[in-house]
Amino acid sequence: MSQEATCNAASSSIANETVGQVVDRGPLNLARILTNRWFLHTVSIVAFFSLWDWLARSNVLGGGSSALARPLEVLEQLAVLTREELAELTLWGHVWASTQRVVVGFSIAAAIAVPLGLFMALNRYVNAIVKPLFDLLKPMPPISWISISILWFGIGETSKVFIIVLGTFVPCLLNAYNGVRLVEPELYDVVRMLGGRRRDEILHVCFPASFPAIFAGLQISLSIAWTCVLAAELVSARSGLGYIIVQGMNLSQPAMVIGGMAVIAAAAWGTTLLVTALERKLCPWKRKIAGL
Amino acid sequence: MQDAARPRTKIEVCNLTKRFGELLVLDDISFSVAEGEFVAIVGPTGCGKTTFLNTLSCLLPASNGQILIDGTPANPKRHNISYVFQEPTCLPWRTVRENVAYGMEVKGRPQKDIDERLDHILNLVGLTQCANLYPNQISASMQQRIAVSRAFAVDPDLLLMDEPYGQLDVKLRFYLEDELVSLWRKLQSTVLFITHNIEEAVYVSERILVLSNKPTRIKAEVKVDLPRPRDFMDPEFVRIREHVTDLIRWW
Repeated sequence: MSQEATCNAASSSIANETVGQVVDRGPLNLARILTNRWFLHTVSIVAFFSLWDWLARSNVLGGGSSALARPLEVLEQLAVLTREELAELTLWGHVWASTQRVVVGFSIAAAIAVPLGLFMALNRYVNAIVKPLFDLLKPMPPISWISISILWFGIGETSKVFIIVLGTFVPCLLNAYNGVRLVEPELYDVVRMLGGRRRDEILHVCFPASFPAIFAGLQISLSIAWTCVLAAELVSARSGLGYIIVQGMNLSQPAMVIGGMAVIAAAAWGTTLLVTALERKLCPWKRKIAGL
Repeated sequence: MQDAARPRTKIEVCNLTKRFGELLVLDDISFSVAEGEFVAIVGPTGCGKTTFLNTLSCLLPASNGQILIDGTPANPKRHNISYVFQEPTCLPWRTVRENVAYGMEVKGRPQKDIDERLDHILNLVGLTQCANLYPNQISASMQQRIAVSRAFAVDPDLLLMDEPYGQLDVKLRFYLEDELVSLWRKLQSTVLFITHNIEEAVYVSERILVLSNKPTRIKAEVKVDLPRPRDFMDPEFVRIREHVTDLIRWW
C-alpha cells in the first residue's frame, strides 16, 4: 500500500489527516522477547505437540498402541499414503475426491442460493413465496438427509453432492438476503437524489454493499461443506478423506485416522484461503489502512 | 456581487405543506430563490428543517403545494438537484474520484466531460492526491468534502445542504465554509444551506430565511449584504448575527 502516504502532503494542514504507521522501537530485553507475539505463538504450538507426544508415548489414556499415535507416526503414515494406494488411490487422489465433491456441491449451492437470496431481499413477492419453505427446511441438519439421499441417489457422487448442496444452501441464502436488507438507507437516498433509477440503486448500492455479507456466507458454507462431505464419506464411500478415516478405524491404525483428520483441516483451510483471495480481489475497498 | 440586476428566479416554492398524519410540520411555506443565490435557512432545533429539505428535494412527497424549478415542477430525474446530507454518505466501494464522479455517471454524462470536470473539481477542493483512496482510508471530514464535491460536480440547478458541517470542529468548519463559498462563486450554483449555527449562516449566505417552531413557517427574511471575505468581528456582521439570534429566540 504505497498510496496512503500520498494523502498526507496535500491536506495535513487542513483536515489533520495523518496517515502512517508507527513502529514502537524500544530496547530489546527479556520482557519484550517473552511478550513477543511470535514467541508466544511458538510456545503454544511446541507445547501442544509435546503434550500430544508425551500422552501418546506414556500411554496415560490407556488402550495401548491403538489409542493415540505420536505426531511423527502420523506424518510417517501420511508419507506412506502418498506412495501406496489405498483402495486404488494415493493420498492425493483421496484429497482430490473430497475436494471435488466440496467444490461441486458448494458451487451449485452458491450459484442458486446467492441470487435467490438477493431476489428475496429485492422483491417481496419472491420473498413471500420462498421464505415459508425456507423456514420450514432451515432448522433440519443437513446430515439428517444422508440416509434418504442414499436411498434416492445410491452411494455414488450424487448423494454426497446433494448433502453438501443442502448444507451450504442456507448460509449462502441468508447472508445474501441480510446483506441487502442491512444496506444503509442513506445510500439509496444518495442515488435517488442524483436522479438514479431503481436499476442504479440495485447495481450501484445493493450489489456492492452486499458483497462482504455474501462472502461471509460463502466462508461459513465452505466449512459446512467440509463437514457434510466428511459425514457422507464416513457413512458410505470408496474414496475421499472420510474413507481414509474409516479405514484407519477398521484397521485399528490411529495414525491413519489422525492423518485423515489433519489433511481435512489442511484442505478446508486451503479452500478458505481461495475464497478470501477472491474476496480481496472483488472487494478492494474493504481493505483498511494498516495500523489505523 | 449580484445586486441591482437581480438574475431571474430559479426556484419557486408555492404554499408548501407537509403533514405526517395529524401532525402539521410545514405550514404553507412560500418563497423564491434567484439563480446563483446562496440562501441559508436557520431555525430552532426540531422545527422541521430536515423535513423541509427532504420535501424540497422530493425525497418526501409534499402534502400540498409545489416546488417549481425553472417554472416546471421539481423532479429529481429531470432536474439536477443535489443534496449534501448531515452524515457523510460516500459509497464505500468507490474511490474518492469515483464517488465524486457518481452523480455525473447516473446522469449519463459523456466520459470525457466527466473526466474534465473531475480534474477541475478535485483540484479546486484539493483532493487530487487522494483520488484513488477508498472512503474508509480517509477521515469523516474528508468524506464530507467528497459529498460536497459530488454535489457540486453535477452542476446542480439546486444544491441542498443539511447541516453538512455540524459535526466538525471549529477550525475545519471555517476552512470548509471558505471552500464552500469559493466553490459556489466559481461554479455559480444555487444553494440552500440549512444550519443551526447562526454565525455560519451569516458567514456564508446572501440571504437568511428564519423558520418558526412547528408548524413551520418562514418567520423572517434577512438580507446579508456584506463584502467577502467576511469578517466575524465586523460590527455589521455582529449586528446581523444578533438580529437573527433574536428572531430565533423562543425562550
